[in-house]
Amino acid sequence: MEDTPAVQINNLIKEFPSPFRKSKVKAVNDVSLTIMPGEVYGLIGPNGSGKSTTMKALLGLLTPTAGSCHVFGKNSLKTDSRQEIGFLPENPYFYKHLSGEETLRFYAKLCGMRGKEVKERVDEMLELVSLQDARKRRVGAYSKGMLQRIGLAQALIHDPRLLILDEPTAGVDPVGSREIRDLIVDLKERGVTIFLCSHLLEQVQEVCDHVGIIFKGKLVKEGRLEDLIAIEDQTEVIIRNASDRTLARIRAVIVDAKESEFVRMGKPRTTLERLFLDEAKKSEAHNTAITSKPADESAIEDEEKGAHDA
Amino acid sequence: MRRNGFFSPARIMVIAGHTFTQLVRMKVFYFLVIFVALMLAASYFEMPWSRTAEDSAEQELTILKSTAMGAMTMFSVLFAIAATALLIPKDLEDRTLYTILSKPVPRLDYLLGKLGGVLLLVAISLLLMDSLLSVILHFRTDSLLAHEMAVGKAQGWPQPDMDARAESISQQGVTWDLQAGIAAIFFKAMIMASIALLISTFSSSTLFTIVIAVVIYFIGHYTADARNYWLHSQKDGVSKEVKFLTQGVALIFPDFQLFNIIDSTIEGKKIAPGIFSRLATLTLFYSGIYSVLAWFTFRKKEF
Repeated sequence: MEDTPAVQINNLIKEFPSPFRKSKVKAVNDVSLTIMPGEVYGLIGPNGSGKSTTMKALLGLLTPTAGSCHVFGKNSLKTDSRQEIGFLPENPYFYKHLSGEETLRFYAKLCGMRGKEVKERVDEMLELVSLQDARKRRVGAYSKGMLQRIGLAQALIHDPRLLILDEPTAGVDPVGSREIRDLIVDLKERGVTIFLCSHLLEQVQEVCDHVGIIFKGKLVKEGRLEDLIAIEDQTEVIIRNASDRTLARIRAVIVDAKESEFVRMGKPRTTLERLFLDEAKKSEAHNTAITSKPADESAIEDEEKGAHDA
Repeated sequence: MRRNGFFSPARIMVIAGHTFTQLVRMKVFYFLVIFVALMLAASYFEMPWSRTAEDSAEQELTILKSTAMGAMTMFSVLFAIAATALLIPKDLEDRTLYTILSKPVPRLDYLLGKLGGVLLLVAISLLLMDSLLSVILHFRTDSLLAHEMAVGKAQGWPQPDMDARAESISQQGVTWDLQAGIAAIFFKAMIMASIALLISTFSSSTLFTIVIAVVIYFIGHYTADARNYWLHSQKDGVSKEVKFLTQGVALIFPDFQLFNIIDSTIEGKKIAPGIFSRLATLTLFYSGIYSVLAWFTFRKKEF
């Protein structure tokens, strides 16, 4: 497996000027994360939490105020880093005057492809997203689901190693949504690294193997999905073909600590949605506690921190 | 893996070609229908009150050229400003800019591609209008020449007078000087498109870009007069700093009086090759400066 991370974000801070205040608004506050090649990473958070800002910094569309972003070891501010990236923005709109085929041809040529290579790749992508029948139709006449699929095709046209998806199933009907999800799973199996953000937590849980929860610009929780959704103080026992008698015996075995046939022993899981809401609640409570502290107490803490830093 | 240079002519051509298609499909060529109607009307339109008996043929051709070249200037300049001002905000609004800039596309390539697409459309439109003007002008000149020669013959003009008359009328017809004048119209549009490109990289609205570009266009026609008046009105001469400042102002606002060769070609005057090449160089200089400034603003722009 390749050692260079597909995505390396180090202490990313992004501030925006606020029109009515002297101080700047911190959209992303000291976010660090690493995505290894082949992983599917889901970044989840409420609206305005800094997901899109993080993605835009990774795409070089925004310059970090502090920190850095690297894609396969290349600084994301360099054009070369984008050779490895395919990006599908939220609610993508393409040039309405072009057909699906022309759209893909345009993006393929932008990526430096020429001649036969363009034709072959366009055909391949149209087949992948099941849009062969609509290839000559103007994109302006495409449905929402078709737009997402042609968006996915343009993101993949230059065979990138990293795919960045911003709300890939937003506004798409359940069938279209399922198709896009299947495509993501297919790409994951092909070894494409995927970095996605979505509000649909169930879908994130279905396709991602790593998740990060971002709240008010801070990455409050991050790790392997399996680990994150495990409940530490409980144990799950999975038994095959257990009869009532067996269950009763197991109960007795557990009480007496005697042996039995275990198919798997693990930890019961909460849902990602519950985890996310708990973390959001905790962060909210933490922020409220900080802002409600008396001014002199904060000043003492700051002084102490300064002395400690020194 | 493909290497991406600082600047790629092939990629610029792809973006320019796409921009051209985008504009064509916005049906801008409908203007040409209006131009054709205008030309046909002008070729049969006579203004007896502005004529004298001696040069009526020349005046008729001048009016035809003036109408056509006025329409060509208006179309090319307004189109260059409006199209350039519209394209980048539209890409941003539709988020197509995200999908383009998230590909390995240097921002300079994107800007030059957009500018190139607009200029390609202006050039092709001018070429079509020029062809139509040349055809109509050619037939009109031949017809007037034949008529004048017949009149001269009937009135028994001496041969040198007949030759002079024929030369005078021909000079108002299709000449290389006329083509130079039409090229100057393109140069003017090129400068205005570059200015609109620069403004649109920092402007927040298309309307603002168009208004400011149009104001600069009008200022550009008075820059030289204002500068000369101001410099000559200083009794004690001007300091180096003031001269530097006026040169700076002249750079910001291009001097469109240099493009008066368009009027000269309408009047049938000859254009020295030296003047034309100087104008071409100046156009490249102005467009280059504005494009570089546009890139400076755009390269760090956040989306």
